[in-house]
Amino acid sequence: MVLSKVKIGQTVVVKGIEGKDKMKKFLFSLGCYEGEEITLISVLAGNYVVNIKDSRYAIDAKMAKSIMIEA
Amino acid sequence: MKIALAGNPNSGKTTLFNRLTGKSESVGNWSGVTVSVKQADLKKKYQPMDRAIQIVDLPGAYSISPFTSEEAITRDFILDDAPDVIINLVDGANVSRSLYFTTQLLELGIPVVVALNKSDILAKRGDKLDLAALSKELNCPVVPIAAALEEGLAELIAVAVKLIDQESRQVTPQFLKDDVVDEGLTRQRVVTEILKKCQVKKNVASTITLTDKVDRIVAHKWLGLPIFFGIMWAIFSFSIEGLGGYLSGYLNDTVFGEIVPNAANGFFEALGVSPILQALIVEGAIGGVGAVIGFLPLIMVLFFCLSLLEDSGYMARVAIVMDRFFKKIGLSGKSIIPMIVGSGCAIPGVMATRTIEDINEKRMTTILTPFVPCGAKLPIIALFAAVFFPTSTWVGPSMYILAIIMILLGGLILKKIFVWENSSHFIMELPEYKIPSFKNAIIQMFDKAKAFIYKATTIILVCNTFVWFASSYSWGLKPVEDQSLSILASLGTVIAPILIPLGFIGWQLAAAAVTGFIAKENVVATFAVLLAVASEDALHMPGGVITEFFTPVTALAYLVFNLFTPPCFAAIGAMNSEMGSKKWLFKGLAFQFGVGYTLAMLVTQVGSLLVYGTPAIGFIPAIAISISLVLVLVVIIRRADFKRAQLGVEM
Repeated sequence: MVLSKVKIGQTVVVKGIEGKDKMKKFLFSLGCYEGEEITLISVLAGNYVVNIKDSRYAIDAKMAKSIMIEA
Repeated sequence: MKIALAGNPNSGKTTLFNRLTGKSESVGNWSGVTVSVKQADLKKKYQPMDRAIQIVDLPGAYSISPFTSEEAITRDFILDDAPDVIINLVDGANVSRSLYFTTQLLELGIPVVVALNKSDILAKRGDKLDLAALSKELNCPVVPIAAALEEGLAELIAVAVKLIDQESRQVTPQFLKDDVVDEGLTRQRVVTEILKKCQVKKNVASTITLTDKVDRIVAHKWLGLPIFFGIMWAIFSFSIEGLGGYLSGYLNDTVFGEIVPNAANGFFEALGVSPILQALIVEGAIGGVGAVIGFLPLIMVLFFCLSLLEDSGYMARVAIVMDRFFKKIGLSGKSIIPMIVGSGCAIPGVMATRTIEDINEKRMTTILTPFVPCGAKLPIIALFAAVFFPTSTWVGPSMYILAIIMILLGGLILKKIFVWENSSHFIMELPEYKIPSFKNAIIQMFDKAKAFIYKATTIILVCNTFVWFASSYSWGLKPVEDQSLSILASLGTVIAPILIPLGFIGWQLAAAAVTGFIAKENVVATFAVLLAVASEDALHMPGGVITEFFTPVTALAYLVFNLFTPPCFAAIGAMNSEMGSKKWLFKGLAFQFGVGYTLAMLVTQVGSLLVYGTPAIGFIPAIAISISLVLVLVVIIRRADFKRAQLGVEM
């Protein structure tokens, strides 16, 4: 499943990231990679607000669709 | 001796830098405020035994391998300039993410001190961090600080200096074994292991907080945009029409309109100075510079408000709100940050495009950012609003709304005429809201005031003196009674025909617009100097002498022309370095000039037809120009479409 399908408030485990290597590496340095938890906090104006480790990030729908999660 | 500050974005490096050096570099509660290397001497107060120490502030980075060009600046500095010691700021709001970068820094062979900042956020969440244990695990000193409150800084510097002085080198624990397969993953595991030993987490970070609840309102799908417009409108009308406008009015009318020139005239007459020199100083220097400095309160109020807003953490939310609209023109929410910074000054605004990873998106943002009226354009707006529209309060703030509309329209056209595919993603960290610091806002305000006065008394003074001289003397260097026989008039006359389709008649208007490219405040100063002879009244009086050149409609057009044509030379210089190619710079400047020119022409011609029922001067050439512009645009877009089809790029 992809992150954009998750319910608000749900914490899920990342299975993998699809897309460019550079983006994968960037998300990795934030702590978003296979086996880590990610929580969908809200969906605001088409962007997904997520919690990774101790911080909040807004990511766009395209990116939310490239984050694979364990169903 | 050089101490570099490195750490994650928004961990408080620049706040620490300002406290350590006494500088007032701009700070804000979002990622990517600092985009270049800043160096300054350490304050005497913190200097151990009179040793000269330089502090270097670096852009934030999450990792030593860069994602954006501003992260690359940090990496390059650390690797190439080899600072004597690195102070690594660890963000109390996200210790584990910070430590990933810390372990990378420790492996470089440069002594590192960890400074734990924002520990109040850590404490607020109920988490505990054992600093002694952390220090042991990393084998490097860990000093708790509160940069904003200036706490723990003396100890931090003392520890850093001791590290440089000690004979034995700092020994870095071997985080990674020699035969690791996945370096990054192993590093993350090491960090997790370290934290297990020294952090007690009580709170789950994913629970909904007050910040989340506020975000659901201010970044709401429908409410977000009106809230943003409301806040911006409030700030600009408070600066232009409210307190800022009121104080400027007093300064312009009374101080620089009467008191200063009268005193100066009396002074020079008593001294028996030659009338030419007296005229040069009073009309040229005081008249022009005074007309600009009169707007100082406006600038101060604006920067005070913007600084409070930037410090609150709201700007990152604006990026979310605008992302949806910017996506339609091929940009993303990231592009709004340079534009907001650009409302202060276009130079740091253009530089802020460094946080954009995609080169094309960065170039488009660089072209569009100068459309936002900067602080230097504010005096022009205020002058024209006061003279031509004294009873309406909408003119000033609406220029900012117009800027947003022009950015969206301009972006749409750019997307059509340039062939590029946007492959970038939008990601933005959302910092917790905080109560903005009044002290910081006041420091920023006075810093900007100082810069404004400095600019007015240097570059603008020089330009003014030239304008006064060139408008008072002929090519034979003889004083002229009639300005139209002067050097400036003959220069202005060369350019003036280009402006006829816009309804701007007179070499004076051409001269003022041209001096505006050196510094936008010059537009006001040049009018002040040129019109000083024609009237005793201050330039800013409603219905003043400047109305001889304009109808309200053409005045609005002239305002628009000065706002949307290319910015001042300094900002063009910044555009040049961010574009990374002369070809793109010229494309950008041509586009900006085209937009400013066309918009001014439309305002004049359509406005005159609507308001006065008769076409303005230059109607026929304006129609001819409009037709050729449309044709050129159609051809360019056709060609771009063809290229797109060839390359298989989708719009």
